[in-house]
Amino acid sequence: MGRRPLPVMAMVSLVSFLSGTASADTLRLPPHEKMVLKNGLTLLVMEKRGVPLVNIFAIVKTGAAADPPGEEGLAAAAAGLLRKGSKNRTAQQFAADLDYIGGTFEADSGADFTGIAEEFLTKDAAKGLELFAEALMHPMFPPDEVEKFLAQALDGVRAEKDDPRSVMLPYFNGYLYGTHPYGRPAGGDEISLKKVGRDAVAHFYQSYYAPGNTIVAVAGDFDAAEMKNRLEDVLGGWPAQAVKSGAIPPAPIVKGKRLLVVDKPDSTQTYFAIGNTGIAENDPDRVAVRVVNTVFGGSFTSELNEALRVEAGYSYGAESFFDERKVAGPFAIFSFTKNETTTPAIDLTLQVLDKLHKEGLSAKQLASAKSYLKGQFPPEIETSRQLAQIIAAHEFYGLGDDEVNDFEARVDAVTPEMAKQTIAKHFPAENLVFVLIGKGASIGPAVQKYAPKQDSRKISDPGFWPAP
Amino acid sequence: MKRTARIAILISMVCAFLVLGNVQGQQQQYPVATRTLKNGMKVLVQTDHSIPNVALYIFYRIGSRNERPGTTGISHFFEHMMFNGAKKYGPGDLDKVMESNGGSNNAYTTRDVTVYQDWFPKSTMELIFDMEADRIRDLSFDPQKIKSEREVVASERRLSVDNENNGVLDEQLWATSYIAHPYQWPVVGWMSDIEHWTMEDLKHHFAMGYAPNNATMVVVGDVSAEEVFQLCEKYIEPIPSHALPPPVTTVEPEQLGERRVIVHKESELPLLMLGYHVPKTNNPDFYALNILRVILFRGESSRMYQRLVDKDQIALDVTSMVQPAFDPLMIEVIAQPKQGVDPQACEKAIYEELEKTKSAAVSDTELQKAKNIRLVEFYRQMQTINERANTIGTYEVFFGDYRQLFDVAKNYSAVTKEDVQRVAQLYFGANNRTVATLIPDSGEKAPQ
Repeated sequence: MGRRPLPVMAMVSLVSFLSGTASADTLRLPPHEKMVLKNGLTLLVMEKRGVPLVNIFAIVKTGAAADPPGEEGLAAAAAGLLRKGSKNRTAQQFAADLDYIGGTFEADSGADFTGIAEEFLTKDAAKGLELFAEALMHPMFPPDEVEKFLAQALDGVRAEKDDPRSVMLPYFNGYLYGTHPYGRPAGGDEISLKKVGRDAVAHFYQSYYAPGNTIVAVAGDFDAAEMKNRLEDVLGGWPAQAVKSGAIPPAPIVKGKRLLVVDKPDSTQTYFAIGNTGIAENDPDRVAVRVVNTVFGGSFTSELNEALRVEAGYSYGAESFFDERKVAGPFAIFSFTKNETTTPAIDLTLQVLDKLHKEGLSAKQLASAKSYLKGQFPPEIETSRQLAQIIAAHEFYGLGDDEVNDFEARVDAVTPEMAKQTIAKHFPAENLVFVLIGKGASIGPAVQKYAPKQDSRKISDPGFWPAP
Repeated sequence: MKRTARIAILISMVCAFLVLGNVQGQQQQYPVATRTLKNGMKVLVQTDHSIPNVALYIFYRIGSRNERPGTTGISHFFEHMMFNGAKKYGPGDLDKVMESNGGSNNAYTTRDVTVYQDWFPKSTMELIFDMEADRIRDLSFDPQKIKSEREVVASERRLSVDNENNGVLDEQLWATSYIAHPYQWPVVGWMSDIEHWTMEDLKHHFAMGYAPNNATMVVVGDVSAEEVFQLCEKYIEPIPSHALPPPVTTVEPEQLGERRVIVHKESELPLLMLGYHVPKTNNPDFYALNILRVILFRGESSRMYQRLVDKDQIALDVTSMVQPAFDPLMIEVIAQPKQGVDPQACEKAIYEELEKTKSAAVSDTELQKAKNIRLVEFYRQMQTINERANTIGTYEVFFGDYRQLFDVAKNYSAVTKEDVQRVAQLYFGANNRTVATLIPDSGEKAPQ
């Protein structure tokens, strides 16, 4: 039992973790080198002496946004199956070799890209790189492994529905974005996963996994020159291949208000998310947005947590976040409260949002948020795992080292006027999307006052949203 | 950790025994300075300049094992109250002052300890000491704050227990597995106790648990031991020591036969949890049990994954869990059956795999794999100042000496195949187990 709830964003896959990065202190990114191999693969190498670990974070620049409609979960299945049978190893042999060196290997797809992370001891670099290259370059997608994987993914969705917190985002994103790629569940759902098959997985891999579409970042306790040679050895032979590019269409702000109730009849509390589309990863206002959101719902002393938890005792926690992506990702306020206080808690949330627009930030709040962001930044760039993810993501999103190195200066440069403009431009006021998961009978008609357009479904209904 | 570790890597390629030299070298490279204050609080400091920040942990040896029926969950509630105002820093001030100076905090409560965590830029350290001393010495008990915090904790309970299958079943498992010892009740407390404990209960709990001589402080980061000890002398040492919590004398009697508990709940999937009683953390079988758990449960090459997830395809995952504890506790096994699978099918497969570890020795490869995994795990814990503070404190509190941490490689190296087989036979018997099953009331559609 702890004092604070796990942020709902922390419950999503490793791919989405990246959006929270950026920010800095007087710290600078350790030096690192970028090189493009002859086959087009982008390599980023960062020597960081410390505990004897090596971390790889690779980005294949195609993610779940490329899933054909109705086959959601395809990109994630291709990623998850990389280690499940390849040219030289069965899934069982891969697991045995990886576990023997105490390594970890994870691969998953978010909307924007596919992320592959591996960690191993420096002394095991040869084996670690061999396993990485084999999974990335030579997966075979054996039919029995594909079938097993998809069956597990299907039950994984069902298991998640037993904990409303872990399915809030797929419902919210679906209801917010509709048929836009960001509205579709990256992990698939009970309907789409039945339509994904072995051929589609193999075809997805052949279409998008190519050196020119891949960034490999490696950070850790090694000699950089030696590591570069090793990486060239194992990845240089991957044949170049053209990849069709698929830009993600812009995601406009939703106009008006609408509300979805997801009925979970046994629930003793209502989980709610309120928001709209937010900002892209490279939005010029991103630092100001982060400063303002720290005051609004991004810290323990934020307006939202103060009001809902500290003052009213409605909830264990209330937060808000911007999930920054290639194009405008979602902005959401998230909290939960017992059935009886559903409308008082949502009323209070809307009052806090209203107050943000009417009163803005006090000079004291602005100063506090700046100190907080700067003081909490160094632990975000502490480990080689974090650093590999950060440099890979910067490369993917077209951002530079200044994201980290100039962050302190950029935070300091946020003026009250900039904060005011940021609130008006990026925090929704009248245009709001509501998603409530809870006991429908208890939530009842009281929530109709929030939006003229209402929808509802049962949590046991297959899929998230839109309804099939 | 920087240069010496690299030299040691070359050595560790030679043989596992020499890896130990590496670990001990690390201890020499980043030595822990210790001092026991006049009021009895022990302070451990490890200097690390890699980032300009500090992690400060205070471990109080008080948890739900020090509670009684009627006030279950009060240790955890108290953890929340420690943030609600003292003499110098009133309600909400601690959080506001800390965040506006670049710091953040959290806390956690277990059956055995309550732990407070501060993370901050080094320039804020004196302020942190001022606030920590204020709340240890002069906590206030504002009835209004107690009222709203009670609601917060009730919400936490609804979130992490009542509406979460793992939370519900875990609570039932412990309540069934223990009949005498206080480990039987949940750390968060029963809902009726959360609603009913009194101001007197709270004051009594503070007086009982929050003596400086009942606490251990760990500071890791961009500070010198001397700086920390000076601040301790100024802020912490003047706080008088007082009586420790009364010892927990109840000993859980030996379990004489399997216990079973069933939960019916609206749910998509069933759930299975098993509990086996094992000795307290600081016991000689600790290392052999952890090696056995790796062989059985860790990674996709583990025996349980291979059997239940990969071969039989009856479960989504199978894991095991154990927390540090002062008294004999439980190793928990958690299996998530697939939809339509009878949890008993998972039970049967788990028992069969356990039997194999009793009837025959594990292979040399499995044993070495488990040792390798435990070694990498040690390095992962050493990566951040935060993890290091928590790990050093955990070893100091539960093993009685932080230096045990730097012996883990040696202690795991010493585990033999015979040890692994012996602990499997000793602890994983039918009479020593409790079985908790969650059966979906509805929502389950497609039988397999």
